[in-house]
Amino acid sequence: MDEWGYLRPETPTFFGMLQSLLAVCLLLLPFVGFLTVSLASRRLAGPLAVGLTALGLIGSIGLAVSLPEQPITLQADWATLSGISFGIGFRVDGLAGLMLVIVHGVALLVQVYSLSYLLDEPRLSRYFAYLQLFIGAMLGIVLAGNLLVMYAFWELVGLASYLLIGFYADRPAASQAAKKAFLMNRVGDMGMLIGIFLTYYYYDTLDLAQLNHTDLYAVAPTAVGLCLFMGCVGKSAQFPLLTWLPDAMEGPTPVSALLHAATMVAAGVFLLARIQPLLSPDARAVIVLIGTITTFWGGYSALFQTDIKKVLAFSTVSQLGLMVAAMGMGNVGGALFHLLTHAFFKAGLFLSAGSVIHAVHTQDMRQMGGLRRALPVTFVAYTVCAAALAGVPLFSGFLSKEAILGGAFAWAETAGISLAAGVPVLLLLSSGLTALYMARQWRLIFLGQYQHEATPLSGVHEADGLMRVPVVILALLSVAFWFSVNPFSAHGSWVFGILPLPAEAELPWLPPVSVLLVLLGGWFGVRLREPNPTRLYVQLSVQYGFLDRAYQWYIITPAIKAATLLNRADQRLVDGAVNGAGIGGVVLAHLVHAVDRFGVDGLVNGAAWLAGRLGRLTRSVQNGRVQSYITVAVVGLLIVLWWIL
Amino acid sequence: MLLSLLIFLPLLGSLVVALLPERQTAAFRWVALGVTILEVGLAGLAYAAFDRSAGGYQLLEQADWITLPLGRLGIASIDYLVGVDGISLPLVVLSAVVMLAGVVSSWTVTHRQKAYYALYLLLTGTVMGCFVALDFFLFFLFFEFMLLPMYFLIGLWGGPRREYASIKFFLYTLLGSLLILLVMIGLYLSVMDPVSTALAAGFVTDPSALTDEVIRLLQAHIQAGQLNPAQIVHTFDMRYLADGRNYLPDAFLNPAAEPTVLGMPARMLAFWAVFLGFAVKLPIVPLHTWLPDAHVEAPTPISVVLAGVLLKIGGYGILRIAWNFFPDGAAEYATGLAGLGVLSIVYGGLNALAQTDLKKMIAYSSVSHMGFVLLGVASLTAEGINGAVYQMVSHGVLSAMLFLLTGVLYDRTHDRRIDSYRGLMQPMPQFAILTAVAFFGSLGLPGFSGFVGELFTLMGSFQSEWIPGWLTVLGTSGILLAAAYFLWTLQRMFFGAAWSRHDMASVLTDLTLREKLLLVPLGALALGLGLFPNLIFDLTSQTVGQWLIRFAVE
Repeated sequence: MDEWGYLRPETPTFFGMLQSLLAVCLLLLPFVGFLTVSLASRRLAGPLAVGLTALGLIGSIGLAVSLPEQPITLQADWATLSGISFGIGFRVDGLAGLMLVIVHGVALLVQVYSLSYLLDEPRLSRYFAYLQLFIGAMLGIVLAGNLLVMYAFWELVGLASYLLIGFYADRPAASQAAKKAFLMNRVGDMGMLIGIFLTYYYYDTLDLAQLNHTDLYAVAPTAVGLCLFMGCVGKSAQFPLLTWLPDAMEGPTPVSALLHAATMVAAGVFLLARIQPLLSPDARAVIVLIGTITTFWGGYSALFQTDIKKVLAFSTVSQLGLMVAAMGMGNVGGALFHLLTHAFFKAGLFLSAGSVIHAVHTQDMRQMGGLRRALPVTFVAYTVCAAALAGVPLFSGFLSKEAILGGAFAWAETAGISLAAGVPVLLLLSSGLTALYMARQWRLIFLGQYQHEATPLSGVHEADGLMRVPVVILALLSVAFWFSVNPFSAHGSWVFGILPLPAEAELPWLPPVSVLLVLLGGWFGVRLREPNPTRLYVQLSVQYGFLDRAYQWYIITPAIKAATLLNRADQRLVDGAVNGAGIGGVVLAHLVHAVDRFGVDGLVNGAAWLAGRLGRLTRSVQNGRVQSYITVAVVGLLIVLWWIL
Repeated sequence: MLLSLLIFLPLLGSLVVALLPERQTAAFRWVALGVTILEVGLAGLAYAAFDRSAGGYQLLEQADWITLPLGRLGIASIDYLVGVDGISLPLVVLSAVVMLAGVVSSWTVTHRQKAYYALYLLLTGTVMGCFVALDFFLFFLFFEFMLLPMYFLIGLWGGPRREYASIKFFLYTLLGSLLILLVMIGLYLSVMDPVSTALAAGFVTDPSALTDEVIRLLQAHIQAGQLNPAQIVHTFDMRYLADGRNYLPDAFLNPAAEPTVLGMPARMLAFWAVFLGFAVKLPIVPLHTWLPDAHVEAPTPISVVLAGVLLKIGGYGILRIAWNFFPDGAAEYATGLAGLGVLSIVYGGLNALAQTDLKKMIAYSSVSHMGFVLLGVASLTAEGINGAVYQMVSHGVLSAMLFLLTGVLYDRTHDRRIDSYRGLMQPMPQFAILTAVAFFGSLGLPGFSGFVGELFTLMGSFQSEWIPGWLTVLGTSGILLAAAYFLWTLQRMFFGAAWSRHDMASVLTDLTLREKLLLVPLGALALGLGLFPNLIFDLTSQTVGQWLIRFAVE
């Protein structure tokens, strides 16, 4: 892990301090933006937000380019409990620098796009303010120097996504989706929090630099890695917590672009990069397994969707599974390279999809078709980004996918796990699947006949420049050239100057085979006819393995039932016991009163009557009743006192 | 002087209100407001005057109150003794703030204002007394006296079932304090004041000459029966009660003697008695059922005080009395106590999920959140106990805010059912935003105080050698449940198309200036405490650190 340079900083130089200051400013900028933009007027909010993020992008590039060998770290006290100190810490290293640029870059393009896309939105300042919060929260994760800080911003990302997914608050589906996203993420976050507790329990520190000492590697308990990984399962929509992501489409489309590319789902993968030394071999095996399942699950679910955004959503799930699997294999470089290329082409795809939706006013792909003439720019951009996603040579996705697949075959040879060889094969097959569903989508939108009656084809035209320019830029960034001069191999890429070079197997057959699979998938995707939607294998895809239905049946409904039942028990049994005791007390009091009235008082009256008789009997004797009472009372008191003392 | 002022200023204010002529309806609340503002100022002074680097009690005031020779029972000595340490001071400050908020939200109380404010100020004084009293007898006096104004405030100004709720509240707490009283008498009989006893027996002539050696000698004399029991000075001074060396050799509750009652060590029995007495107040499942009723029936300001301050007296009592005097009990039963804490967390959370009444939902969420307090103190770790005190302060602020928000709606419609509203975001945007802030703060979003309290109580629980890991994991599910019931409520009441059983245009108006003045500072406080938790931990650190040494010894 030495290439990460997780070492304590030297005495800071003036330039180093300047860089630290810059990092702090970069982190604070979106939060300042959140406050100012939310107070700004409708017209001013957008440009202000765009300006701030542009400023952030310039700063990020400046910081990333000038990064020293050693990471920049910042520490401050936060909470001191009886001598035990919990600090807040930040670190900027190559990985963080790269992420800073990605986040700012995508966020800037998305916001420029939003200027036009949400022009008619009355609550525009709130929208841009939430976006700023989203960016700030993600930057916090990227710059976090310890797990506690990471968790704090992790949850803040959850909040921002909640606000943005539920942005159209008057739509019930939107607020439902927002809640679902937050809660599913919370399930993961709960695991992550337990992972943090475990980490602290075993290592007495949450500082990433200290946790990255290589000597921890051998002893890290599996539970630590798995619990922390749960955070990733939630945020990066891994199996089985993936169903919030397709629902998150309820947010405005530019938000989806941001969420899928840079500010949310990337966080889980990033976390795995940061906690590599804490992952035991067993934990890694689980991570690879989950990643592989997710890759396939997402890919198959994307296959028969009819909503244009849902196909993209599941393609994200699938690609994230690929990255997570690579992370589990220790292929940090490959996973992050794919994260980088994916950020651009996926943002491009979503923004293009937004342009299509903007033009035809529907998200149902069955209503589209033949749009290549009406939307030529979008068509080209979409084609380029889709090609990158499918892994077509000459496009960026090909390079990063090869880096992961090559790494996977290398891993399978050395993993020593039975059936390990199946993993890279499955990953390879699902890359063919990617080509298949992307080609199908591409056909449904751009080829064939236009179907939508509500919006006539004559009314369908390209959006204005504010929406076109970001799409075009993202499409350009999806070309292989930017990442590697050799379009068939990423080995000489500048990216691996920052990221560790993956250990790839020397497999000359792999690129041709995967290209063949992509071509095959693409061909089928364009040629195949739509199946009957009622068929089980179609429903299995459309309802993503009936996962949501299973949750509803086996978790949500029983949980609410249990809560209701428990509440009834609380009222009937627990409170019933209390009320019963109260009523019992009153009944007892009445009983005692009755005894008192008829028994004791009767006795007293009887005694009085008897005494009267006796008195009459002993009339001649001096009456000593009062004295005797007093005597009895005193004796009685003495007995009581003696007993107490 | 400062702490006495904190107690007696409101009591004096109560008297002033009582003496003012009935016609002066406007004056009552201004007196109450003035007094509570002064209280915040005084608490602020105490906060500033507190020496953070020193543990132990500070700002002490002591005066002889009752000295009574009881023959063979020795000499009874009750002092007026007040002081604060790192555990009580945060709660004093919290109480001052919440009491002020309570007065401001009482502005809507219109009938029998004189009695209301007189009782309210009485309550303020007794609450303060509870937190600063360092003589057990004095503490108990305030603790009991607090019930009286609370009983009437719920019983006279409450909702439809106010009488049921107030009697329930009264009886529950009284039953708890009966247990505390028993233990108090037991402690009294078991502990001597070493200084006064040594003086009375002629061992030393000057209190400053008292050393450990002298105390040991004194104990040896008593053991040998060479000291006349009539000369032994018994005390309620908490500082002496917390010190094992002051227990009489053959005393009932002497840690070394270990007499048993019904097969159980007497000290352990006493520990459970006093714990249960305060657990009612915290409240701990299954002693919690007074809470939802009391909250639902109480008027908004009294709910605020109940959740914001009175529950904390339970937590404070557990720490100050149960843990402080019986550290052996706390260590012995740590696992079971943590289990009770987790039970409260999960049980309260699940119940909150099932509620249809907004106020009841928040009441059950209080049960859940106070479970974290017990989990933290049961852990006997620095993280856990500091976290528990912090959680009390945090919950005080946030629950006050939550009940105030409920009050906003109740003032307008007299309807707290969740399903009576949909899409409140549209008619009442400011209300919606502040509710969202309070909800997210309460469900433990980092940045707000709720997160810090839960984080450290859970972390302490994980660090604790007494608490099994699975129990903490179960407790962690509380944060998931909290997210579920708060967000579900948010979704049902505030999002979707605007709809209500009540007239939206005329009734469901957005926040007034007074309401904003109440809610915004509380929200800001929760945020400030969440970002700078050392505001509290600075106070608690030293005191808790010294406590932990005792647990290690036991």
